[in-house]
Amino acid sequence: MNNPLFTTRRDFLRTTILGGALCWTVPSFVAQTFTALHAQADGALTQITTGKDGPILVLIQLAGGNDGLNAVVPYTNDYYYAARPTIGIPANQVLTLSDTLGLNPAMTGFKSLFDAGNLSIVNGVGYPNPNRSHFRATEIWQTASDENQYLTDGWLGRYFDNACQGCDPTVAINIGPRAPQAFSSHTPTGITLENPDSYRFIGSGRNDDETVAYRNMYTPNPDDNVFGSNDSNSGGSVSMVSGTVTLQNGQSALDFLERTSMDAQVSSDKIRAIASKTPPSSKYPGSGLARDLQLIARLIAGGLPTRVFYVSQGGYDTHTGQRGGQDARLRELGDALKAFTDDLTGMNEFDRVMIMTFSEFGRRVHENGSQGTDHGAAAPMFLVGSKMKSGLLGEEPSLAPADLQDGDIKYNTDFRSVYASILQEWLKTNSVPILGKQFPTLPIVTV
Amino acid sequence: MLEPLPGSQWNKATAAHLMNRAGFGGSPTDIENLRQLGMYKAVSWFVDYQKIPDETPAPDWAQPDPAMIARREAIRNAADPETRRMLQQQENRVQFTQLADLRYWWLRRMALGPRPFQEKMTLFWHGHFATSFDKVQMPYFLWLQNETLRQNGLGNFNQLLIAASEDPAMLLYLDGARSNRNEPNENFAREVMELFTLGEGHYTEQDIQQAAKAYTGWGLSKDRLRYEYHPNNHDPGPKTIFGQTGNFTGEDVLNMICAKPECAQFISKKLWRYFAQDEPPQPIVDALAAEFRKSGMDLKHLMTVIFRSREFYSPDLIRSQIKSPVQWLIASSHQLQAPLPTEPMSLVMLRQLGQELFNPPNVKGWDGGIAWITTNNLLDRYNFAAALVEGDRVPLPGLMGQMRGLMNSMAEDGLMQIAPTDVSALFSAADLSTPYGFLDALQERFLNAELAPQRLASLTDFLKTRSPLEETDIRKAIRLIMCTPEYQLT
Repeated sequence: MNNPLFTTRRDFLRTTILGGALCWTVPSFVAQTFTALHAQADGALTQITTGKDGPILVLIQLAGGNDGLNAVVPYTNDYYYAARPTIGIPANQVLTLSDTLGLNPAMTGFKSLFDAGNLSIVNGVGYPNPNRSHFRATEIWQTASDENQYLTDGWLGRYFDNACQGCDPTVAINIGPRAPQAFSSHTPTGITLENPDSYRFIGSGRNDDETVAYRNMYTPNPDDNVFGSNDSNSGGSVSMVSGTVTLQNGQSALDFLERTSMDAQVSSDKIRAIASKTPPSSKYPGSGLARDLQLIARLIAGGLPTRVFYVSQGGYDTHTGQRGGQDARLRELGDALKAFTDDLTGMNEFDRVMIMTFSEFGRRVHENGSQGTDHGAAAPMFLVGSKMKSGLLGEEPSLAPADLQDGDIKYNTDFRSVYASILQEWLKTNSVPILGKQFPTLPIVTV
Repeated sequence: MLEPLPGSQWNKATAAHLMNRAGFGGSPTDIENLRQLGMYKAVSWFVDYQKIPDETPAPDWAQPDPAMIARREAIRNAADPETRRMLQQQENRVQFTQLADLRYWWLRRMALGPRPFQEKMTLFWHGHFATSFDKVQMPYFLWLQNETLRQNGLGNFNQLLIAASEDPAMLLYLDGARSNRNEPNENFAREVMELFTLGEGHYTEQDIQQAAKAYTGWGLSKDRLRYEYHPNNHDPGPKTIFGQTGNFTGEDVLNMICAKPECAQFISKKLWRYFAQDEPPQPIVDALAAEFRKSGMDLKHLMTVIFRSREFYSPDLIRSQIKSPVQWLIASSHQLQAPLPTEPMSLVMLRQLGQELFNPPNVKGWDGGIAWITTNNLLDRYNFAAALVEGDRVPLPGLMGQMRGLMNSMAEDGLMQIAPTDVSALFSAADLSTPYGFLDALQERFLNAELAPQRLASLTDFLKTRSPLEETDIRKAIRLIMCTPEYQLT
């Protein structure tokens, strides 16, 4: 860990010094600071520890395989219309981005972000030799592996392992029912939150005997060494695919449960304190995704030391009746993003937030016989932020039959180039220890 | 490998392990009764369930509903948006009521029915041949598939595979019913090899595309109420699959898949993972797959070998798995000797804890293992424990936020209440005479094991000043032991 490349680790330790005290590997320190932390878990303190300058990344997974061609439509391309006689989007309906590309008409939210200079679209993103499995493809995106390499750590998990050994569990927050594999790491990091109102141990009253006994079951007495002195328990039709999280390094299910219990206890008071002093803004649409983003906005405003938020939107596996299904999903996504970015702007927080969407694959160029599309390969990614180099990045892929691979679009930007760009330009960390090698970066950030 | 467990190792701990894994747990009395049978008879009691009569009636709505098509047509052809909205709402109410009824019907059957292993196996196959209400929409088809899995779940795997593949719920979920001979839909063709039989790496993209042709012709009857084969929509031409060429039908392809050794490997591994151990060792998988193939893919034989094997009772497997939400809820009610919570209470709990029946997250089913647990749903488990034990003193987290309105109306109807646990049925006067005696009885009933020192110390502190123990103290102590990492294991 003395590698001079890890400049962000120092930053992390500086900015989350209190969080650092919660490192799982120093249990007695946990004990001593635990009570103090709870007493101090209010906005003033958390803001000092994080600073208002920390960059934040919000990941939105589009689960099921978002069809890129009907999202960012090549509306002058004859091959596109020949391949999609029933589900192709007529040129006069697209929301124009350039002389050749236009957005699905349902994506009005995206269009207004684009016009405001806050949206960048990376074309043709993928990786070599994709095999069209939801689950393998999701795993590859979540772990940033090569196509023939099997990793259990998530790419963000490796970022946290490198950048903040033993940081506050709220440094990574997943909103939704299942923890994403992207957060899996040697030293597990991050919490999962669905409803802040119920994110607590409910006793019969404040500091009642039951609550005290519950806390004492987990908060070690500094005189006891109950967690052991070694590090053995450290770290320790598709609507949703989050990748498979598995135990690591000989950790047992019991170790995992102990750590999760501890993280739940440590984080619950902070989350609730922040949620209660930051009421939700009312200007969001009614979708589940919008509700999740609304909660993220509240947590950002409340000053949690969170670097990465993760949220998932399902329903993109459009084998049948694609126009109805995908258009509705894209509308929901765009409208939610618009409300979220407006909310962040109003709170003066948009400048430190970047949003990235990804999906396990795009879909086959040629539609199938059920007004849908089967699993495919490369597709565009969306990056949203006020500090973005807005516009179109990456090469627009060719749809000429000779240029396709088994009916699929060939990628021309490796998805890890996008990850590397975000890690280096936005999170200001060295991407090599996280991604295994240096991928070419794209100019995504203006400053 | 896979030798039977010696009689000398059959005891309370191994009997409890069998009861937890082959069934849904039990009270100390249930476990003692199972122990007294001896290992052979105990395993037979679970796997020879055909000998036990099960007269559970089907839900009264579980039959083809010929009026459904007309109702859906009426929605589509409604004269104005307002009428359409009203008709759609009516239809949704019917569907959602049936769905909730189906979920609770099955949960009760798992918890209270006479054949726990048959239901456990059905639950396994529900996660394997996963289908979801979100896409299938019709509770009748979900019930029909549930019956298919129940009737075939411990028979021959090849027959089960064919039955599950031609089942209407699967034809809708993986788009087989929408496929056609000119441009076949690949959804089912891919998932059947990747997730149901062989696993990634044992087939090619060409195998998928060719097999997709073979499956064409499978569909639903015109009234969309049952499976029907449509010969005119079947591609009768030659297909090349696994290097063999022929005019294969869909059933031919499923038979070819089952004949591959990788299929026995894949199913054996998944069964061992589900019933025994999160990370199956390869030598055990090899031995199981050999047994499975030798028996002609006989699931009952395979499960009997598993439940009698020495490896299944290895000490490091006992209490090594994280309880699924269904297991957590049913085992808790057995240990508390309490009825299952009411329908809305049970369904809210399962939903919040991440195992909504007939709504798995995707075609791969539930991942299981540590994927069951997040910081949020672990706190939910701890709070639901309070609701189960202490009654409705504690608000359910699920009652808040978006679900509040619905829940309030059910609360007014008395559907959201749980009676506090009757502790007099659980502990004898002798158990309660000292805090230490009580702690022993508590750990035996709820963990079949001991707590870690830190947690034992906290519970001891909680109890040691309370003598005699009041009922409320006993309930709080039960709730607290359910709020431990140890309690989440089975």
